[in-house]
Amino acid sequence: MAHPDSPPALALGGIAKHYGYVKALDGVDFHVNAGEIVSLLGDNGAGKSTLLKVMSGAHAPSEGTIRIDGKLVTKYTPSVASDLGVEMVYQDLALVDTLDISTNLQLGREPLRPFPLSLFGFVDFGKMHKATRTQLDKLGVRTAPPERAVEMLSGGQRQVTAISRAAVRLFERGGGVILMDEPTAALGYEQTLMVEALIKRMAAAGFAIVLVTHNLPLCLNVSDRIVVLNRGRKVADVMRAQADHNKIVSWITGADRAEEAVA
Amino acid sequence: MSVKPPMSHAKTGGPLGAAAPKAPLKTARPSSAVPRDVALLVFLRDRGILVLWAVLLIGFAIWNAPYFATANNAMLILSASSVTAVYAAAVAIGLFSGAFDLSLPGVGALASCVTAVALQNFGFAIPLALALGVVIGALCGFVNGWISLKGLNPLIVTIGTLSVTSGLAAKVVGGYSIYGLFQLEFMGSARYFGIPSHAFIVAALYIGLTVFLTQTRAGIRMRAVGGNAEAVRRAGLNERQYRMMGFVFSGTLAGIAGMMTMALVGEASPTASPGVIFTALTAVALAGVSLQGGRGSLPRVLIGALILGTIADGLTIAGVEPYWATVSTGALMIGALLLDKYLTEAISTRLVRISTLNVHDGVK
Repeated sequence: MAHPDSPPALALGGIAKHYGYVKALDGVDFHVNAGEIVSLLGDNGAGKSTLLKVMSGAHAPSEGTIRIDGKLVTKYTPSVASDLGVEMVYQDLALVDTLDISTNLQLGREPLRPFPLSLFGFVDFGKMHKATRTQLDKLGVRTAPPERAVEMLSGGQRQVTAISRAAVRLFERGGGVILMDEPTAALGYEQTLMVEALIKRMAAAGFAIVLVTHNLPLCLNVSDRIVVLNRGRKVADVMRAQADHNKIVSWITGADRAEEAVA
Repeated sequence: MSVKPPMSHAKTGGPLGAAAPKAPLKTARPSSAVPRDVALLVFLRDRGILVLWAVLLIGFAIWNAPYFATANNAMLILSASSVTAVYAAAVAIGLFSGAFDLSLPGVGALASCVTAVALQNFGFAIPLALALGVVIGALCGFVNGWISLKGLNPLIVTIGTLSVTSGLAAKVVGGYSIYGLFQLEFMGSARYFGIPSHAFIVAALYIGLTVFLTQTRAGIRMRAVGGNAEAVRRAGLNERQYRMMGFVFSGTLAGIAGMMTMALVGEASPTASPGVIFTALTAVALAGVSLQGGRGSLPRVLIGALILGTIADGLTIAGVEPYWATVSTGALMIGALLLDKYLTEAISTRLVRISTLNVHDGVK
């Protein structure tokens, strides 16, 4: 966890989102601190994907405020989010299968060869693979060599690659927020463990992490804090220690509420 | 010009990627070894076309001995494959970046007709007229891209521009072919050191484009856009710019191919033969370029074009009716697609199996 006196990495206040007469979100407060893993749970249609899209800038909220590192952000779009250090790992991963891990990670910031060749945009592959290797080592990721094509990776390795890409982009700024949509949806048990370990390491490295998931074991294993939505409202916001499987299920299904103010 | 094996591997980008199974040795990470059977399948998928070409060459050399395996016949094959190779490069570059361009024959015809009129009627200098043809090709590609990027399907858009460009070509020359363009013989039927001039153009284009696609930022991003445009957009890049580049390259190459045809026959014809696009597509499909975009390597496309030339030449020498050349290239293409599908599935099945093995071994 970050210093108690520093502002949250990302804080939403009183977020509402209307689609016509439908209220997808209604007065939701949410925050995540640097180094913290917050799981966002809820049944289908509870509003968790909408809230995640508000956090990534893909949806503008109808009401409410967004603060990043304590600073109020008015015009919030995905590119502003990216500039301010909020990266999203989508469920579809958005990797280029035919290119290698390294190129996928460095796309948009490929290092160039020295002067005369740099004019023509010649990429320095040696430098690029080396940078990738260093960054992956920092994350403790040892799935496959950077030169391996993404199409040659297993589902778990692809997920790890997509998460690493988000982290690599944030390394330059020295931290940031990573939003993950169902990071283990398509994975088997052991691959889920691999991704779990990576998420924990990233939080330890100082990233703020928001996890939208249906996977309760994952949530219980990695979360510092658990937020539950039900029909667009926040019904629980508790530390991991105060939650167990049965309680969470009752919050998700709407049988119970447990909202507590957690700073 | 003898054809060398692919210099570099478009799929993995860069010299390091050329041999995927070799990479693990360099990095020495425990889980990184690709098993031998997967490596063999990958080799067959990526290099199988070379094996196929070698088999065809040896087969025809034996069947048609002593007429096939001669230097002069090799030059005939090169010459016959050249225009196909350039059109195939145009199709392939479009597909790499996710654009399916059917207007290429029309663009080729328009570029050649404009060049011919500039030469004959307006007395342009040859280099200037040729440059004009290249610019016309690029412009047609730009228009195709501009319309398609408005969210229309390029396949349909380029059927429309095929019509427009061939109509314009006919308008430019007044409906009749322009004959007697002997001043272009230097890039037509001329030979240098015994090698057809077209072969030099093809070599220069393929080497330049392969280096561009595998070694430069813009080339890599162009292939990335074809593979997954969303990935490029989320990397903060202007994905439309790279899709546009695919269209422009495609149109430019079509313009060059049109002028090569014109120089060879000494005549600029406004009739766009849609057949060239299907021959080019056959070469591209033989080379394993995915119509979904993003996958494929340019050197393999060149081999694909050479295979088509080899079959036509070999069967003609053998005295087989020319219809069989068409039948056999079609059958070969379908066979290549089936094999590619089988190999790709076999590779992914095996990879899923080993990735499960890896986690069970406790290796991450």
